Amino acid sequence: MVIYDDIMYWLVLIFAESHPYSDWIRGILGGLVIGAVFGGALVMVYLERKFLGDIQSRIGPNRVGGRYGVLQLIADAIKLFTKEDIIPANADKWLFIGAPIVALTSGFLMVAVLPFDYLLINGSYYAVNVTRMDISILYLEAVSGLAVFAIFMAGWGSGSKYSMLGGFRNIAKMIGYEIPLGVSIISVAIMAQSLDIVEIVEAQDFLWNIMIHPLAFIVFGICLVADVGRIPFDQTESEEEIIAGWATEYSGMRWGLAFFAEYLHAVVGSFMVALIFLGGWNGLPIVGNLYIPGIFWLIIKTIMVIMFFIWTRGALPRYRIDQVVDLGWKCLLPLSLLCLVWSTIIGLVFG
Amino acid sequence: MTHENTQITSPPSPSEILLHLGPQHPLQPGPFLLDLKIDGETIREAELKIGYIHKGMEKVFEDRTYIQIMPLTDRICYLASNANNDVYCRAVEELLGIEPTPRAKYLRVIANELNRIQSHLLGIGEYTTDVGFLTMFIYMVRERESIVSLLEAITGSRLNHNYARFGGVANDLPPNYKSMALKTLGEIGKLVKSHDEMMSSDSIYLKRTKGVGVLTDKVASELGVAGPPLRATGVEYDLRRIEPYLVYDDLDFKVITQQDGDVFSRVKVRLLEIQESIYIIEQCLDQIPSGPYKQHVTPYITRPKVGEVYTRIEDPRGELGMYLVSDGSNKPYRFRIRGPAFATAQALPPLLIGTYMADVAAIAASMDSCTSEVDR
Repeated sequence: MVIYDDIMYWLVLIFAESHPYSDWIRGILGGLVIGAVFGGALVMVYLERKFLGDIQSRIGPNRVGGRYGVLQLIADAIKLFTKEDIIPANADKWLFIGAPIVALTSGFLMVAVLPFDYLLINGSYYAVNVTRMDISILYLEAVSGLAVFAIFMAGWGSGSKYSMLGGFRNIAKMIGYEIPLGVSIISVAIMAQSLDIVEIVEAQDFLWNIMIHPLAFIVFGICLVADVGRIPFDQTESEEEIIAGWATEYSGMRWGLAFFAEYLHAVVGSFMVALIFLGGWNGLPIVGNLYIPGIFWLIIKTIMVIMFFIWTRGALPRYRIDQVVDLGWKCLLPLSLLCLVWSTIIGLVFG
Repeated sequence: MTHENTQITSPPSPSEILLHLGPQHPLQPGPFLLDLKIDGETIREAELKIGYIHKGMEKVFEDRTYIQIMPLTDRICYLASNANNDVYCRAVEELLGIEPTPRAKYLRVIANELNRIQSHLLGIGEYTTDVGFLTMFIYMVRERESIVSLLEAITGSRLNHNYARFGGVANDLPPNYKSMALKTLGEIGKLVKSHDEMMSSDSIYLKRTKGVGVLTDKVASELGVAGPPLRATGVEYDLRRIEPYLVYDDLDFKVITQQDGDVFSRVKVRLLEIQESIYIIEQCLDQIPSGPYKQHVTPYITRPKVGEVYTRIEDPRGELGMYLVSDGSNKPYRFRIRGPAFATAQALPPLLIGTYMADVAAIAASMDSCTSEVDR
């Protein structure tokens, strides 16, 4: 893996050292990372269609681009981008236009602090990410919260009753779920004694957080599924009740962007699970990463989390909105507080 | 919550919205309009408006000869086409004063029960999409395909069977049908059982369906609701048992009932009825006598004597009746259909009051009403 180390060395030098064109190169590389996560979202859409097809005893895309339909997404994208751009007559135009942009922006902002590896170069450690923040986990959570505004903008701006109901549902759901999500993250941060994702991952070099703190993993996982709005928590866009909710009036390119932003969130969410609970680039617990570069471990774990998301979509029916809110306030919030107690105890005893 | 008060009378207050669910909406099997007055997510008032696909079938039938009507009865409700054929055929047979041959009786029972299975499978499938369980829908449709293939092997068509004839049926069983049918039905029985277990053990599913949309037996009887929605309230009302027609007298089967009358029970009744229908078909395939499958004495032009007749059978959705008046010509003088789905549809709005938006989908789909038949 000498080549890998060389590439990373070069990257980290640019990121870390004060190069005259450092800011420019950093910007370009940031764009590349965004592109990579963008590609990851594409892969997720494809995986979802194939894997969900398998679960449901269908084939999935199988025409465009050979037997496995690998180019189906490109065909779909062309279709979406060439469709007529319809803005309903009684829509609030700027909110309507702005909603997919806000959704995508929130997804891209999240990518900025995602670390992909942590390397020892010339005796000092460097994290491979666009921006190293010492509060990166708080930043992630704050930025992911912006997506709520996007959905409410879409719901309110569409000028449709169904969309508005979807927007209301989203707000009700998010208020209930952002709190346990945040508390479960904080309980993990307490154990690592840092709000920096890199530090949290490095604290898992021997045992993963999922083993030390399974309850926080469960709370975080459920809240994350609710956060990215997938079955069983996709009440905001349930088709049979409120006709795709906030997305009712969207079509063509705008719908495509909003739809894509959701997948972007799901991918970044999967990265978060892999980083915070599954050891990130640390390979397997105890044995370490077995001479495989950390970034591959991270990607493998992320894909497994994505597959888990897809599996839940295939296996579960949808909650009713009042049950979702009940679950958030009456079950997950107390559980997350329990997480906090547990991690404080662990922190006091072993910390 | 009574069934009289199902009209939206006052305009919505500032905290309420008037929501038109329909005429085109993903939850509907066909076009109808469900006006809901909602406060947040809670439904305050509901009003059902039907008639968007009124086809005037009863009037059309009065202008057709008796044998011409037969294929049109398929179109009353395409999921219960065989039941529609059968009840019409029995009505005309009663007018003509003839009996189907013994073999034809068994064949009709087989076709009827296969029809019931496929209708229930699709009904449950549509319902599961409405509670957000898309996988189950596709499983149900997959299972339905093999049942429809069995029907195709007997009747020659997959959807609109046009199978019954006055005094018999259109085709005999194909060779090796028994082994083929027993194999398929055994598999379907097992699969449906496992789907039933999967649904009954899912906590989210139970939360969504238990105690939701409770129809009481009193309201159900008052509105003429029959079939699975009535049997789910604990009433043992099944025309196959109460008023046995064809060969249901000689067959052994249970009338499936559940006690709660909620969404869960209605679907459970259908799931268990599938098993019961499979059992009935297996008995029929064992007992079926040899002999002619249709009577060749039926005249070329059907001219029943002057008279009137009302026959009813157990449709997959409830009690299906047809009333015919003959004036001695080759066309019926008056034709009237008493569809099960109409009664089921009018029981829907009172059930919705006080529930949440998400329950509308579950309750409406669990009633399994067929818009095509409601409007006729």
